Amino acid sequence: MPTNTDMPTYKGLLLRGVGAGAVSGLFAGLVGVLVVEAPIRAALAVEAARPTEAAGHEHGELFSRGTQVVGGVLAAVVVGIAVGALFATAYAGSRRWFTSKAPFVRAVTLSAAVFGAAALLPAVKYPANPPAVGDPDTVEYRTVLYLGLIAAGLLVAFGASYLASRLGHLSQPVRSTAVALAVVAAVVVLLVAFPATPDAVPADMPGSVLWDFRLASLAETATLWLGLGVGFGLLVDPAVRKVRQVSAV
Amino acid sequence: MTSPAHSPAVSDNWVIPIPKWAYAVALVALTVTWLVLQENGIALGHAAETVHEFFHDGRHALGVPCH
Repeated sequence: MPTNTDMPTYKGLLLRGVGAGAVSGLFAGLVGVLVVEAPIRAALAVEAARPTEAAGHEHGELFSRGTQVVGGVLAAVVVGIAVGALFATAYAGSRRWFTSKAPFVRAVTLSAAVFGAAALLPAVKYPANPPAVGDPDTVEYRTVLYLGLIAAGLLVAFGASYLASRLGHLSQPVRSTAVALAVVAAVVVLLVAFPATPDAVPADMPGSVLWDFRLASLAETATLWLGLGVGFGLLVDPAVRKVRQVSAV
Repeated sequence: MTSPAHSPAVSDNWVIPIPKWAYAVALVALTVTWLVLQENGIALGHAAETVHEFFHDGRHALGVPCH
C-alpha cells in the first residue's frame, strides 16, 4: 500500500544529494591521486626544466606537492558536495525526466546527461590541460568559453527532455530516435559554433603527457558525476531503501 | 490539471514541492564551486592566491581552465 513516506521531500533529497556527492567526490579525489597525479608530475617536470620562470607563476611556492595533492582531493570532495546539492535540486525539479522509470534509473540517467553536458562536452572542445600548459593572459577568455559551453550543453539536455515530452504521441523507437538525432545535431552545432581555444600547446610538452592527463582528468570527472548519480539513485530508490511486501497487488 | 488525490493516470508523474530556501542552497553551492574552481582574485583579492594554489591539482584534474 502506498503511503506518504514513499513521497520524497526536498529536504530528504538534498541530504541524500549532499551525502552521495561527498562520497563520489572522495572517490573522484582518489582517482585524482592514483591516476591524474602521475601526468601532473610529468607536466611539472617539463615546467621545471624550462630555463627561466618567465611566466612569473611559481608552482609549489606556497604549498608543497604533498599539500597540493591533499588539496586536490579536498577540492573534489567540496565540489562533490556542492554539485550533489545542485543535483538533488535538479532531480526534485525535473518533472519530465523519464517519469515512468524507477528513481534509480532517473538519477543515473540524469547524472549521465549532466556528465555529458558539464564534463564530456567541454572535454571534447576544450580538453583539460596539465600545469605548464595554458597562457595566463587568456585564462579569463578560456573560462568564459568553458562555462558557456557547459551552459549550452545543459540547455541541450533540458531541451532533449522537453522534446521527448512534446513528442509523446510518437511510438517509442521513433520518439527516442528523433530525440537522439536532435541531440546529436545540437551538439555538432555547439562544437562547430564555439570558437577554438586561443592557446597553443607549448612545444616542450610531450603529447603522451597531454593525452595521459586528459584521459585521467576525464576519468576523475566521470567518477564524480556517475558516482553521484549511482549513489544518489541508491539512496532515493524506495526499492533499494526497503524491501516492501506488496501484498495488495 | 491534476488533483492532489491519488490518481492512477498521473501516479508516476510526481512533483516534489521545492521550498524557497532551496534557491539559497543552490546559490551557496554555486558560490562554493566557484570559490574552489574559479576564484582568481575577484572576491578574495590576494588571499585568492592561497586558495588557488591549495586547490590547484583539483582545478586541473577536474578540467577547469587554468593559467
